[in-house]
Amino acid sequence: MGDLFDRYAGAATASKLHGGRARPPVDEVFEACGRLRDAYHDVISVVAGMSTEDVAARSARLARAFMDQGVTFDLDGEERPFPLDVLPRVFSDSEWRLVADGIAQRIRALEAFLDDVYHAGRVLRDGVVPPAVVHSAPGFLRQCHGIEPANGVRVHVAGIDVVRDEDGGLRVLEDNLRCPSGVSYVLANRAAMARVLPEVFWGQDVRMVADYPARLVRALRAAAPTGVADPTVVVLTPGVHNSAFYEHALLARLMGVHLVEGRDLVCHGTDVFLRTTDGELPVHVIYRRIDDEFLDPLQFRPDSLLGCPGLLNAMRAGRVTVANAAGNGVADDKLLYTYVPDLIRYYLSEEPLLENVSTYRLIDPEERREALARRSELVFKRVDGSGGKGLVVGPHASAEELNGLAAAIERAPRSWIAQRTVALSTAPTWVDGGMVPRHVDLRPFAINDGEHIWVLPGGLTRVALAEGGLVVNSSQGGGSKDTWVLDRPTTRARVPLQPLRPAAGRSSPLAPGPPMDTGPPVDAQRSQQQ
Amino acid sequence: MSRSPGWRLRTEHVTAFEYGSPARSSFNEVRKSPLPTSRQTVHDARVMTTPGAPQYAYRDYWGSAVVAFNVDLPHDQLVVHGVSTAETHEQRRGSEASWAAVGAAANRMAELVAETELTRADDALRGIADELHAGTPATTAAAVVDWVHRALGYVPGVTHVRTSALEAYREGQGVCQDFAHLALAVLRAAGLPARYVSGYLHPEPDPVIGEPATGESHAWVEAWTGYWWGLDPANGSEVGHRHVEVARGRDYADVPPVRGVYAGGGDIRSTVTVTITRVA
Repeated sequence: MGDLFDRYAGAATASKLHGGRARPPVDEVFEACGRLRDAYHDVISVVAGMSTEDVAARSARLARAFMDQGVTFDLDGEERPFPLDVLPRVFSDSEWRLVADGIAQRIRALEAFLDDVYHAGRVLRDGVVPPAVVHSAPGFLRQCHGIEPANGVRVHVAGIDVVRDEDGGLRVLEDNLRCPSGVSYVLANRAAMARVLPEVFWGQDVRMVADYPARLVRALRAAAPTGVADPTVVVLTPGVHNSAFYEHALLARLMGVHLVEGRDLVCHGTDVFLRTTDGELPVHVIYRRIDDEFLDPLQFRPDSLLGCPGLLNAMRAGRVTVANAAGNGVADDKLLYTYVPDLIRYYLSEEPLLENVSTYRLIDPEERREALARRSELVFKRVDGSGGKGLVVGPHASAEELNGLAAAIERAPRSWIAQRTVALSTAPTWVDGGMVPRHVDLRPFAINDGEHIWVLPGGLTRVALAEGGLVVNSSQGGGSKDTWVLDRPTTRARVPLQPLRPAAGRSSPLAPGPPMDTGPPVDAQRSQQQ
Repeated sequence: MSRSPGWRLRTEHVTAFEYGSPARSSFNEVRKSPLPTSRQTVHDARVMTTPGAPQYAYRDYWGSAVVAFNVDLPHDQLVVHGVSTAETHEQRRGSEASWAAVGAAANRMAELVAETELTRADDALRGIADELHAGTPATTAAAVVDWVHRALGYVPGVTHVRTSALEAYREGQGVCQDFAHLALAVLRAAGLPARYVSGYLHPEPDPVIGEPATGESHAWVEAWTGYWWGLDPANGSEVGHRHVEVARGRDYADVPPVRGVYAGGGDIRSTVTVTITRVA
């Protein structure tokens, strides 16, 4: 092994991140004894062979590629790149199967739950979830009661965040069933890696991610109202000022559908139309990237200019499908999260494949007392928060912050939950000229087309770039890693490592390797027409 | 027990909006059609609009009949006409529940015990709820409604539809929805599930058949005391023949007779008339 990782293995095991008090995190690449995990064998052998200068140069090229494409995110009003690390995160085929099955299972249960609470509410009468938990959820929208989605799907796209705990097991950290974002990073990451570090893919069967847009548009078309043979699909964006606008535009382009804003849509009766220069075009499926409260000013915020008045009744009348459905916030509410394992047992008669992170229900006076007494050890989250906003990491917060938090929780206990602070697993990450351990999580993306729940192989691995940092959200200043799923078990015989040493500072014009997934042509013209 | 003879009440509820300048389009939802209940049979219910528009009808979460329509031509006036005939009866009291049974019901109906913006209680109101919490759930509900009837003066024009129970209480006056909101705040503080009811009230206790009367859009409450018991805090009475029930919810925000958004149009003025006739 080359120099790059020589000191890393030691650093990972003797992590100082947790002051020796809590249990140390697991490392994604190296076992505690320093042994390289099988799935990483090939990729590490390539990267370990590179010189420090070469890795630095590749890292700089990755960053430039992103700035040039405009793959940035908005951090407190400032556009910043979302740094892509040179070393991918790799899942073995067998471990990925657990992730994909566990996520699909969770989505099936949450779909059943949504269908239930917006109809008969059997789950409440049967005492599986207390009515007060659902009734008080900010995302429980009574306006959505009785709406019947065309093919029964409400969670067309899900982002179920998964972390690896100190024992090495994967757990669900939170569910995102409204407008999960970040898939454009997955596509862009793969394309950039294939261009800047082609040799790391060689000899490996990395499952491709580039068919995500095709899968998504297929699911959206399958969700069209009954009787519509050739539906018109649109992507509804809040506009260019939204931090995820790049993603909205990219997905619309790769799916070959219109990118629209609310003012482009109009309802006549219960039919929805797109205003075009050729007149009004009927719209059947809206992949919306605006929040529920902005969808329809007649039903929700009357001051919203982002949506379209009349849309909810068009959904109710079955004339248009909105994806994801309105009202999904009741199912990704963080207090409801604590009931998801019970929902899996109740609706599916199965045991959860992926466990939750242990969580305090702060509406319970006893649990609240205990959680507040341990507030310097726990993570506190707002029940309807996403993107790491409203997140307080106890071990990293000042006493003053924590006391303010305790007062806020006593005032509104339903608005918060507390979770055990998981020492998220670490992965070697290129920071300031060296490989150092940084905490990572994973947002896999799943698409439900009504017949099958497909989990994009890989998803978005987010990296907390600050040393010891546990908040990985892009909106909180994180980075990311290209995330691989190997197509077959890595049981091949070990070959001696043959370090590649291309010259520093330039890409390696090497002979073409086996076919690989180069990701979507993110800077090419629209790749398909609907 | 034989059923009291019903009153057949025909109600005409007209809401007229006038825009300062023509509205380019408007989207509206109307809740003016009576609910079928154990106390009330609905014979017919229609909504008509000027300008005319295709209608879409559905029942909302609370079971209320909703008519939605949009006008997408410029218009400087919008008239929403609700016409209905319903046969009303006196209430039949069910069997009274114990506090334990009310507590169990409150768990099932959590949203009807929880505070809302419009029905928030403060320490003073919670204190009053404690004082009135005496005897059975039914006697407590009656005491709360009686207290609200005396706590507020019926004075139109002081409050509006977004006035909260607390604001009306401090003001000491209001109209029917303020009485209802204050009653809901105290009933819920006393642990009783309670809901807001919007509807119509015939002004006469003994109307002449066939004679139209100027009625009003009215609001009252129902408290769960083993069954839903209708109480009218503005009149300090039980709900009976004179009351036509239209919509239920947590507070006014769940049951507005007309709600809409419009593009252009400038300022808006509205007038409401309710004519109610006992026809049989």
